Amino acid sequence: MSTISLHDTHNHDGHDDHGHHKETFFTKYVFSQDHKMIAKQFLITGIIMAVIAMGLSILFRIQLAWPDKNFPLLETFLGKWAEGGRIKPDFFLALVTIHGTIMVFFVLTAGLSGTFSNLLIPLQLGVRDMASPFLNMLSYWFFFLACVIMMSSFFIQTGPASAGWTVYPPLSALPTAISGSGLGMTLWLISMVLFVASSLMGGINYVSTVLNMRTKGMDLWKMPLTIWAFLLTAILGILSFPVLVAGVVLLVFDRSFGTSFYLSDIVMGTQVLPNEGGSPILWQHLFWFLGHPEVYIVIMPAMGLSSEIMSVNSRKPIFGYHAMVYSLIGITILSFIVWGHHMFVTGMNPLLGGVFMITTLIIAVPSAVKTFNWLATLWRGNIRFTPGMLFAIGMVSFFISGGLTGIFLGNASLDINLHDTYFVVAHFHLVMGSAAIFGMLAGVYHWFPKMFGRMMNPKLGYLHFWLTFIAAYLVFFPLHFLGLDGVPRRYYAFTEFEFMHKWLTVNVFVTWSAILGALAQVAFLWNFFSSIFVGKRAPQNPWEANTLEWTTPVERLHGNWPGEIPTVYRWPYDYSKPGAEEDFIPQTVPFSQTMSSNMPHDFEGNADAERIQREWEEHEAAAAKSRLD
Amino acid sequence: MVYTLDKKNLKDNAQPDLKPKKFVVWLFVVSSLIMFGGWTSYYIVFSAAKGKGHGLVLPDLFMYSTAVLLLSSLFLFLASRALKGGDISRQRIFLFVTLALGLVFGYLQVSAWGSMVRTGAFFSNNNAAISMIYVVSGVHLLHIVAGLCLVLSALVGSYLNISFERRKFRMDIAGIFWHFIDILWIYLYVFLLLNS
Repeated sequence: MSTISLHDTHNHDGHDDHGHHKETFFTKYVFSQDHKMIAKQFLITGIIMAVIAMGLSILFRIQLAWPDKNFPLLETFLGKWAEGGRIKPDFFLALVTIHGTIMVFFVLTAGLSGTFSNLLIPLQLGVRDMASPFLNMLSYWFFFLACVIMMSSFFIQTGPASAGWTVYPPLSALPTAISGSGLGMTLWLISMVLFVASSLMGGINYVSTVLNMRTKGMDLWKMPLTIWAFLLTAILGILSFPVLVAGVVLLVFDRSFGTSFYLSDIVMGTQVLPNEGGSPILWQHLFWFLGHPEVYIVIMPAMGLSSEIMSVNSRKPIFGYHAMVYSLIGITILSFIVWGHHMFVTGMNPLLGGVFMITTLIIAVPSAVKTFNWLATLWRGNIRFTPGMLFAIGMVSFFISGGLTGIFLGNASLDINLHDTYFVVAHFHLVMGSAAIFGMLAGVYHWFPKMFGRMMNPKLGYLHFWLTFIAAYLVFFPLHFLGLDGVPRRYYAFTEFEFMHKWLTVNVFVTWSAILGALAQVAFLWNFFSSIFVGKRAPQNPWEANTLEWTTPVERLHGNWPGEIPTVYRWPYDYSKPGAEEDFIPQTVPFSQTMSSNMPHDFEGNADAERIQREWEEHEAAAAKSRLD
Repeated sequence: MVYTLDKKNLKDNAQPDLKPKKFVVWLFVVSSLIMFGGWTSYYIVFSAAKGKGHGLVLPDLFMYSTAVLLLSSLFLFLASRALKGGDISRQRIFLFVTLALGLVFGYLQVSAWGSMVRTGAFFSNNNAAISMIYVVSGVHLLHIVAGLCLVLSALVGSYLNISFERRKFRMDIAGIFWHFIDILWIYLYVFLLLNS
């Protein structure tokens, strides 16, 4: 604890490196307790899971576009799940379910929070490592195990869980209901319990680190918005994930121990099941009590990352820092009292529906505050269009276009029509799917130099951005119109229903767009993995940013700063400050070194500092006057 | 090349960073409380919708186990006070008593389930409220097992050659968690009594 061994980055002697090194391959790359390595583990696992989930979506998009065509290649890869080259209905449901589960939980929760909370909380707050590095390591390995178990369900006879990512009973509670309700569902539940354990270990660590371990001078109101977002996200997770566990435990008992928490009055074929008295609606309450905060767990880190990146690359202070923080807090609180808007059509008392409707629509207020603040940050900035910046702007774009349809869906009377249609699919894929993934990609491009000490190729970054941005809109925008026409989600073949025939051509278009979007990710994957090894070496502070992570050496070292941890004197957004020599002033620069650019409000009412500043200004004015004379 | 940070630079790290670790336990307590909150909310909504609760007279054994658990908390408190007073041998005795009472509590809980089964109130039941008694007391018992491990770690700490801060840290962690599961059980028991 009291000694930290470090690489001497200045006298780097390659050949006798290993002899003195305390870290082995296992402690450095596998069972690492260094937050930066754990962040990379989360990121790379998240990327692999994202590629898998994207592949699954292409498979079911192929089925939706060409329901009557045979693709013999599919049978080669999928065997009896695509007999004759057509995906089977059971497997279609499994694809949709696992795509949703992986994207929401494994990519946008663990891949996003796990990566950037781990990387940035210690680095931006001036901490050597997390409150409990051991728990942090455990968090990653639980996540890894959850991924392995979830994927293992593709290698069993009955296939993966198929009840949708929300696994509503009774479909999920009766092992014999459909093939995906069998072992696949059991694996899903085990995987999710491990996943929640992982998230909780991570989240508890983040909160404790942020609240207890900040460096000198870093009070809460000097924290970058990234950290505020991670802190509130972690709090959301701690308060909501345990409820999912509570629900899952009851579901496990219903499936395997004959209880009736969610089951009642069920006839399977000709057989009347003995279960009585339970209610499947109660699962929905428990699930959505987590499930709604979960969508903010997904979007808030993306918001924090984008805020930071947009301020750095607009060379302007973030507009309305306090308003940004308060709106995050507002979203956090409100997210716990809106879960009923997922359940308007469950026979809910209309009065209660009205209450949930009002709370839901109130969330539009902090969301709009954030949106306008981002736009105002861009307004008249000296914008540098780095790939990270483009993705951050893309995040705002998706958040606006997806958020607007949230106002439709939040209205109970409209939702009764739109519920379970493609309108909902379009809404959440834009507002939490695309927006969050763009926030995450913005973060990857922006902090890649910090993670790997090298730069990503910007040209490939631009190609990746434009193709992904256009493809995402082409995929999701048309789906709104299917939804308005009443086309339901999760339907296997549009050829089976007369009124859906006219949408088949749109489906073909959407599928081609999805394939384009998927191909665009090749540019990213190539850029990401090759830049780790052959990218241009990163300078200390490639984006000329103010936050603390750019004061650490480029070379990774456990403990982050070779010497003393820097002290923080100012907020993180002093960009283009009038009177300053450069257009950025890092948080570690005291006000005494920037007399020409200090503002009265910088001193937060410190009378001595104000007096010194005044005296300096009077002295300067006198000197200028005497020069003139 | 490897060098170690000199003492001056490590000042910020020299204080054993135990406070954030203690905070981690508090956060765990919160999340665990939320989980039980999920189950008791299920129970409230269920019984409101069905117009019935578990409808049982809870076995007396639950009353005895509650008393035993309260007593164990008291002894853990005494152990913590003994440590602060520098009386390690008394601390050890009190910790042993706490451990023993914890085990007795576990035994009484299992016996209580036995007596429920004998009266026909099985876990696998068409009244989910009865199943819920088993769920909350069962998961609570898992917490007791975890709590016993923490008490054991405080006890082992009293035998190891470690600093007072470390010993107190182990004792504090055990204390936070054990008192929490004590209060948690009282909440669950009273909840089940009131909502029969």
